[in-house]
Amino acid sequence: MNEIKLTINGIQATGQQGQTILDIAKEHGIEIPTLCHDDRTEIYGSCGICVVEAEGNPKLLRACSTMAADGMSINTNSDRVIQSRKAALELLLSDHSGDCRPPCAKACPAETDCQGYVGLIANGEYKEALKLIKEKVPFPASIGRVCPHPCEDACRRELVEEPVAIAAMKKFVGDIDLLEEAANTPPIAPATGKRAAVVGGGPGGLTAAYFLRLNGHEVTVYDAMPLMGGMLRYGIPEYRLPKAVLQKEIDAIESLGIKFCNSVRVGADISLKELQDQNDAVIVAVGAWSSISLGCPGEELGGVIGGIEFLRGIDINSKSLAGMNVAVVGGGNTAMDACRTAVRLGAANVYNIYRRTKNEMPAEEIEIRQAEEEGVIFKNLTNPIEVLGKDGTAQAVRLQHMELGEPDASGRRSPVPIQGSEETLAIDMAIMALGQRLNGIGLQELELTRGGTILADEHTFATSVEGVFAVGDATNQGADIAISAIGEGKRAAEMVGLYLKGMKLGHSSEFLSSTEKTAEDFLDRQKQQRVSAHERDAGVRSRDFAEIDLPMPEQEAKNEAFRCLECGCRDYFECKLIDYANRYNVEPDKYRGLVNHNPKKDEHPFIVRDPDKCILCGLCVRVCDEVIGATALGFVDRGFVTSVKPALGADLADAGCIACGLCAQMCPTGALTERQMIAKQVPLAEEYTEGACDKCPIECKMKIAVKGSLKLRALPAKEGGLLCYKGKFGFAGNAGELESLKVPAGIQQSLLEKIAKANGYDGPMPEN
Amino acid sequence: MRITVGEGSCGVAAGATEIYSLLEQGIKAFGIDCMLTVTGCIGMCYLEPIVNVTLSDGQLATYVRVSAEAVGEILKLLCNEENNAEQYLIAQQDQENLDAQQRIALQNCGIIDPENIDEYLDAQGYQAIKKCITELTPEQVIDEMQASGLGGRGGAGFPTWFKWQSARGSEGDKKYMICNADEGDPGAFMDRAVIEGDPHQLIEGIMIGAYAIGSDEGIVYVRAEYPLAIVRLELAIIQARERGILGENIFGTDFCFDLAIKAGAGAFVCGEETALIASLEGERGMPRLKPPYPAQKGFLKLPSNINNVETFANVPWIIRNGGSAFAAIGTEDSKGTKVFALTGKIAKGGLAEVPMGTTIREIVYGVGGGIRGGKAFKAVQMGGPSGGCIPAKLIDTMIDYRSLAATGAIMGSGGMVIMDESTCMVDMARFFIEFTCNESCGKCTHCRIGNRRMLEILERICNGEGQDGDIELLSALAEQVKDGSLCGLGQTSPNPVLTTLRYFRNEYEDHIYNKKCTARQCKPLLTYTVIDDLCIGCNLCAKRCPSGAITGELKKPYIIDNEKCIQCGKCAEVCKFAAVAVD
Repeated sequence: MNEIKLTINGIQATGQQGQTILDIAKEHGIEIPTLCHDDRTEIYGSCGICVVEAEGNPKLLRACSTMAADGMSINTNSDRVIQSRKAALELLLSDHSGDCRPPCAKACPAETDCQGYVGLIANGEYKEALKLIKEKVPFPASIGRVCPHPCEDACRRELVEEPVAIAAMKKFVGDIDLLEEAANTPPIAPATGKRAAVVGGGPGGLTAAYFLRLNGHEVTVYDAMPLMGGMLRYGIPEYRLPKAVLQKEIDAIESLGIKFCNSVRVGADISLKELQDQNDAVIVAVGAWSSISLGCPGEELGGVIGGIEFLRGIDINSKSLAGMNVAVVGGGNTAMDACRTAVRLGAANVYNIYRRTKNEMPAEEIEIRQAEEEGVIFKNLTNPIEVLGKDGTAQAVRLQHMELGEPDASGRRSPVPIQGSEETLAIDMAIMALGQRLNGIGLQELELTRGGTILADEHTFATSVEGVFAVGDATNQGADIAISAIGEGKRAAEMVGLYLKGMKLGHSSEFLSSTEKTAEDFLDRQKQQRVSAHERDAGVRSRDFAEIDLPMPEQEAKNEAFRCLECGCRDYFECKLIDYANRYNVEPDKYRGLVNHNPKKDEHPFIVRDPDKCILCGLCVRVCDEVIGATALGFVDRGFVTSVKPALGADLADAGCIACGLCAQMCPTGALTERQMIAKQVPLAEEYTEGACDKCPIECKMKIAVKGSLKLRALPAKEGGLLCYKGKFGFAGNAGELESLKVPAGIQQSLLEKIAKANGYDGPMPEN
Repeated sequence: MRITVGEGSCGVAAGATEIYSLLEQGIKAFGIDCMLTVTGCIGMCYLEPIVNVTLSDGQLATYVRVSAEAVGEILKLLCNEENNAEQYLIAQQDQENLDAQQRIALQNCGIIDPENIDEYLDAQGYQAIKKCITELTPEQVIDEMQASGLGGRGGAGFPTWFKWQSARGSEGDKKYMICNADEGDPGAFMDRAVIEGDPHQLIEGIMIGAYAIGSDEGIVYVRAEYPLAIVRLELAIIQARERGILGENIFGTDFCFDLAIKAGAGAFVCGEETALIASLEGERGMPRLKPPYPAQKGFLKLPSNINNVETFANVPWIIRNGGSAFAAIGTEDSKGTKVFALTGKIAKGGLAEVPMGTTIREIVYGVGGGIRGGKAFKAVQMGGPSGGCIPAKLIDTMIDYRSLAATGAIMGSGGMVIMDESTCMVDMARFFIEFTCNESCGKCTHCRIGNRRMLEILERICNGEGQDGDIELLSALAEQVKDGSLCGLGQTSPNPVLTTLRYFRNEYEDHIYNKKCTARQCKPLLTYTVIDDLCIGCNLCAKRCPSGAITGELKKPYIIDNEKCIQCGKCAEVCKFAAVAVD
């Protein structure tokens, strides 16, 4: 017909008269982003994302609506175009409220998809839950036991009653994995031919090794200790993390084909230089293995030992402390571990010495409680000023009594000595558990921070030496929790991956929409107590090193998982808005202002509306009108407060909706989503299998979104195809709900006719 | 003898209806032989109510600001009694200002009775359409329009002949001629005056256009806030039908045409032609993408042509006098005359029709009589919320499309809001953006959210909460909204911001960095203090202060507590000794 020739980004393109720039670009494989355009609806042009520049035209053109003309020269990526799209996205996001990701996942230093695995557990899909965790953390069973779970601190269920027991959920599925013959591990990518060495087999190092290996690199892990596991093995007592559990998870990592070299101290037995020569990249994850000393007189006496050193000694050569008086100085988790280990070793009295009150203790509340149950004597508001000894051995400790003074800059009330108030405590052993520092032996090549840790870039983990990266307790701010080291290990593996490909190391933090919630927002939720762990009796457990918690019964785990409030957006994995937002590096904060909030009611059995996420692209309104003819949704009000609502203020189900699901399918954000046909709704990266509808003789071909054995939702097999409510929502056998729908017969019939035509069906038309 | 009372909306607001009934009663009571009629607005709104008396000798006397007493004097005059009517006569300067105008669109306004078709017919009414359909081909009509150089008076100035030719060239048997009377700019009332004062001229203009494009059906989309205009236009349509001027086989030719009125519900954006069409169709008033242009797919997807009221009002004159006569008026790129509505701080507010190319100074200090209260002229906002401000230093700018565009403002539909030294330009920009925010249809991202964000930035600047970087953020956002908006509303709404930033950036800086509003309009930025030397300690300010911020002892200077002060200004207002300073 009328062929036209134009150039798009310098590429020769041909099209037909009457085609839009967007169409022709698409046919030539050039993607122009748009949020409001769809071929099924009439041209609309509201979002302003598809703008392009045409040579000689002073205006930006909307590619979705501008007819291409012969000789046009189009630029889809000019600076002006990028800026315009960015501004549009920023404006949209400034009036878009929701949580792309749940607070739990965002709080996790390893970015574990907590809502995802908790949701999968609620649906009984344990294997998938485990796979999801292992995308970020290679030791779910171990971490599930020891993690101080920042996820739970962030959990909004706290606003109802108590946070979801997320760590226990992780332990629950982690333990299932331990029972499997072979652990569930992701497939390994084809070999890259590159070699990497990891120095230090603790949580950070092993995680880095795990992900490097999964990406096809050859990996060797060196560790100074006889067994791998680092602080997980040598710093955490058996009763909290049984060595057998840890070992099984380490074995699974090793089984990926990672070479382990134990009892090799890098810097002494082998130099960093040698590792560099033998490998293409090195990750240093040596940890922080020395205790910080208190600096009071008498610390050099026999019987005074660091917390880390004490705990490490237990595994290698445990000896009884029977009848001894033991003082443990410090208020952190290591101090609690030392106290409780001392109790288990038979100490007569175990004192915890801490200069503030229990409220200020950095240790986990549960640790403090359990320690107390096990008989630890808390000497709060005391500070050791001298260790007294005889013949070089500690015999007593002098304690200064303290009180809490005015809050300092951080808001914490600092302890102040009460002049003249002291006591002396007779002891046989003093354990100083005040913190950890690095043993920087043998790594002189690396530049250190002023605090003596290895200086590593916060985002790329690069050290001062080319090709050497560093993570975990040994770097920058020093010791932190295991899950932080795991997060860094994974990200460092990604950076090393880039480095090995010769690519520039870069980092851009993902933009995510977030909202603030208060208890008010959850007044409608029924209170449901958090599951409590099955702890062994304090009197029994304090006499052995067996694990404190008994396994959680399956039903309890499921019930607990159901408590999840589903904070994260269901549409995250498909959302076009967040995809574009990150592609265009948005900074919507500068436009912070009034945000529209419309009441959301879950008034439809299958379609879930969240108006606060609506960007008014109008696709739902238009598709419902132009394609389906139901006009169940429409625009209400004008200007900034415009919203999309069901007709005449009715519930969607009463507004003529025929539940075809097309609106939710086309919604570019999470403003309209389809209810998943599973018990607990959960945002998931879907996988698809083929299926066919058996509800009528047309037998529509469908694409079934699945996760493990869960069937989440049905989609038309063909892009742009249609399904009626029976296929769309009836595939999961929920006849009762289908019958409750008030579907207008005429519109339903005309939809069936369209479907029949599209499927080339010419048999008798099915009844509604 | 004939007496006319100006009963445009402005006259009615000034009390003309009462004056009319007083005259009516008087004429009846004294048995005066004269004809009493209403007429539309002559443009001197500041002089309403206006009564014109044409004596039997043909002499015309114009009485202004007519009160009940004035009516008495006029009646005495009509009864040939001794009277004092002379003191109500129009001042010579005002008469000269009126005479100096060149009136085409407003030629009959304020003169003929808009409710009587005969008066229009007597003023050469419907001669032009008769000439078109009996002597000219549609093409010749379009040629005449091309010769005239008439551009759309709604604001953009797009050549009228070109639109007509496009619509004529579109395929289809059914075409619509639509008149856009959705005049929505704050401070604009030119179209209202035309419809209220001379509805037949509008009808005739529409008919000529319809003949030219090949349409037999017209629609006038009038905003419902113009009830008097709607009544008069309805009446005119009925009268025209009665005379066979509207309907079948007009003037015995094959030309058939009828006209309907559609009252708009008051959405500003419906003045945008595609939104207007959506509204006519009963849809939500939201603009649609162009192309397709209305000439190809307009009302009900049929070829349609849309012109503004004032554009149509010029058409009969052009046909009667020839396109070249019209083109002889004005400048190279802007032909003919333009009606302007003068509002704001102007001494003589009202309408003025002047040739294109007249300078702003000539309008402000000529017809407009300068600034009210003798204050200094600061700027004029041209073209309403879509236009921009032109500062005092550019007062000699000629009013034509090209010169105005160079300033960053636009011709617009003809609203001129005059500002003096007491106008805060940041607040002015805020006002117009607030207007646009309220009137945005909500369809496209940039206009819906961008204008709102601009408003928020302007509000915080006016509230003394402006931050470093706000000017840059505002101007960058304004450019993005201009670039990215779907229709004219959003594409032009940043103009007040951009022009005030261009010409009055110092005021923005004063607000943000010095926390000062030099025009003393932004209350949160004002500080009230008592000048000790002037205060006699009368206690009046303290008594009137609603927030108890003023304290003191009688006969000693009082003190204002700025923590408690709510900047209401009552103290300065009541002080008889000018002892309260505002800064």
